[in-house]
Amino acid sequence: MNTSALKALVSDWRVAMLIILVILSVVAIFPHYDQNGNMVSNIQYGLDLQQGSWLQLEFRAEVVGFTTDRSLEEFITDLSKKLDTEVILVDPTHLEIRKYYSQEALEPIFTAAGGKINTYQQGVSKSTAEDVKRILENKINTLGTKDAKVNTLTGMNNIARYIRVELAGVDMKQAQEIVGKQGKFEIRVQTVGNQSEHVLFGDAITSVENPSQVPAGSDHWGVGFTLSDSGATAFRNGAIKYGATVDPANHYLVMLLDNNTVYSAPLSEDLAGKLQAGDIRKLYASTGMGKAGTQQATTLEIHLRAGALPVDVTIAGSGGVSAPLGERYKTMALLAGIFALITVGFVIYFRYREPSIVLPMVLINASEIVILLGIISLIKFQLDLPTIAGLIAVVGTGIDQLVVITDEILHEGKVPSPNLYLKRLSRALGIIVVAAATVVIAMLPLALMDLSTLKGFAIITILGVLIGVLVTRPAYGKIIMQILSK
Amino acid sequence: MGFIKYDIEKYSPKQLVIIPLVILVIALILLALNMASTGMPVTPGIDFSGGTAVTVFSSDTRDQIQATFSEYPLIGISEGVNDGKFLKFSSMDDAKFKSLTSLITQKYPDAKIDQIGESFGKTLQYQALVALLFSFIGMAIVIFLAFRTFVPAVAVILSAFADMVMTAAAMNIVGIPLSLGTVAALLMLIGYSVDSDILLTNRVLKRQGKLNEKLAGAFNTGITMTTTTLAATIALFLVSWFGSVQILMEISAVLLIGLVFDILNTWLTNAGILKWYAQKGGVK
Repeated sequence: MNTSALKALVSDWRVAMLIILVILSVVAIFPHYDQNGNMVSNIQYGLDLQQGSWLQLEFRAEVVGFTTDRSLEEFITDLSKKLDTEVILVDPTHLEIRKYYSQEALEPIFTAAGGKINTYQQGVSKSTAEDVKRILENKINTLGTKDAKVNTLTGMNNIARYIRVELAGVDMKQAQEIVGKQGKFEIRVQTVGNQSEHVLFGDAITSVENPSQVPAGSDHWGVGFTLSDSGATAFRNGAIKYGATVDPANHYLVMLLDNNTVYSAPLSEDLAGKLQAGDIRKLYASTGMGKAGTQQATTLEIHLRAGALPVDVTIAGSGGVSAPLGERYKTMALLAGIFALITVGFVIYFRYREPSIVLPMVLINASEIVILLGIISLIKFQLDLPTIAGLIAVVGTGIDQLVVITDEILHEGKVPSPNLYLKRLSRALGIIVVAAATVVIAMLPLALMDLSTLKGFAIITILGVLIGVLVTRPAYGKIIMQILSK
Repeated sequence: MGFIKYDIEKYSPKQLVIIPLVILVIALILLALNMASTGMPVTPGIDFSGGTAVTVFSSDTRDQIQATFSEYPLIGISEGVNDGKFLKFSSMDDAKFKSLTSLITQKYPDAKIDQIGESFGKTLQYQALVALLFSFIGMAIVIFLAFRTFVPAVAVILSAFADMVMTAAAMNIVGIPLSLGTVAALLMLIGYSVDSDILLTNRVLKRQGKLNEKLAGAFNTGITMTTTTLAATIALFLVSWFGSVQILMEISAVLLIGLVFDILNTWLTNAGILKWYAQKGGVK
């Protein structure tokens, strides 16, 4: 091929697009040496290719669709008492029950309370799931873990059954400790200056509500919480003993988490009066107005729970990879990719015996991988083992389709005239589009479902097929035509 | 290429279809038997049945490992190359599992641990089956839309179905469990298996020329396609086997088996039905 032919080829829009995409991808991947002389790039690795752990937690709670003839408030209070747990109205027809009951166990209780179950699904509402997510993130952050992700897996009906925690650089034992760990929560009363006396520990708090406005709609925010009977007695005794009920302004209530003050405020006059008269179980800590008030309320809620989750969870699944094993898998995956390309090259050579066909084929194939890795780096997708299997699958289907193009064009061993060539190329692309459509459709359910690790595999396969059909196959058709017509 | 001669002329459609048909029936019987004995057509692995899988690299013998984990429900040890060991535990409660993790992190700090709880496994299994079903239906719809003729479309779908059934039966025989990885491989197989079928059908229906020549031409191209895919898969299998990367090993093994059955089903089942259809006058 002479220079002018090469120029014409490169300036063909299909080929030009391929070249531009490859260059952009290399920029996106950005392979370089860091200051320690190690080869690094922008590709992010999943937990099975680096040290890390994941925990998938399942909520021991359920969301129930219901109907009742009674007033909602009465019905919920009644249910809550019968079920011995918090019952929260998600929307006018759905309740979240924060304790695990099977549908069979719930039905008689609902009937007794004057209601009926229409739907039942294990899990929690989206907003509760978000709360849990916040609490977990908070806990992980205080421990200074560098690279953590918490994702709720919410289904189409807005019910989350699972929450997944991924911690890079942490082994499984540590991960379990971090997620399971609770802080030490304490309430003290200020005596003189910044001295204070112990009143109660976090175990006296039986439940914590979500942030709310009191009075409703006033934009005065705070968090309600309930004490156990003995906790309420201890609280009253402490408040009276240290003078908080008679002189609230000089005897603040102080809340501490792991010995750090997280909240400090005087008793309200109203409460001070009531406490003089007797035990109070339901308390409310106000945090102020507006956005700042809401935010403080949210944090205080987490602190009041001392890192405990509003809903019980069990470990549904978990896993972890050590650093050396992650390295080893990375090497193996790289080897597998290179080895796959080389063997494919040999088979193609054996079939066509023509380096000028084999070389473009293998290069086109490799370019697909580069573009895919570029996209992976750009969208910060995590490369893990199933994704690598997907990449290698893309090599497989990719080369298949290049063979279809080549054979279709070379039909009967003759190099066709440009007119006939175009007809054959479009016929070949017709076959390819149908094949590609099937792969995309076959992978779609996996890409849409949260089937843990397989999502990446499916997404990469679909992306690979699309890039193939839209970019690399048309470019190959052009290149092979130039080469054959020389 | 010419290292395999595809003499489709010699055989009648019936002769072509009979071998894969017999294998398909045997495969279906095997799956039914497995279903009767275990409740699932393909034996589920830890991903679906629940349990813990541990990969360690250690020169410890089987007995030593068994002794180390005597207090835990160890149900299997298999060995790879290079001292790679794959341990399997059945389900245990959270507390027991936590103590197992600390034992493993202390004894084999380089291990890889994967644990799936029973109920989570059930959810995954249900989702995987739904995914397989939807994939297959989706594929069938695409094929029907693409060819818009009944017999050729059914031939393609039937070959894809036969591929999956035969592969599933072979998985039971070889002892590859159904896992997230192997489900992915089976889905991939749907894509791969229709590749060559589409090529074949396209050539026979849309090209001019003698039927046998079209079939032979399609075979030439199609077998190259499958061989290249096989080559890539073999490469993946060998590397993951040497490196003891279990998930890649399972995926590539299933693909390997499936591709071999695909050759059979494309060039005997699908080609046989197409030949019959053409001889009946379906192809102009």
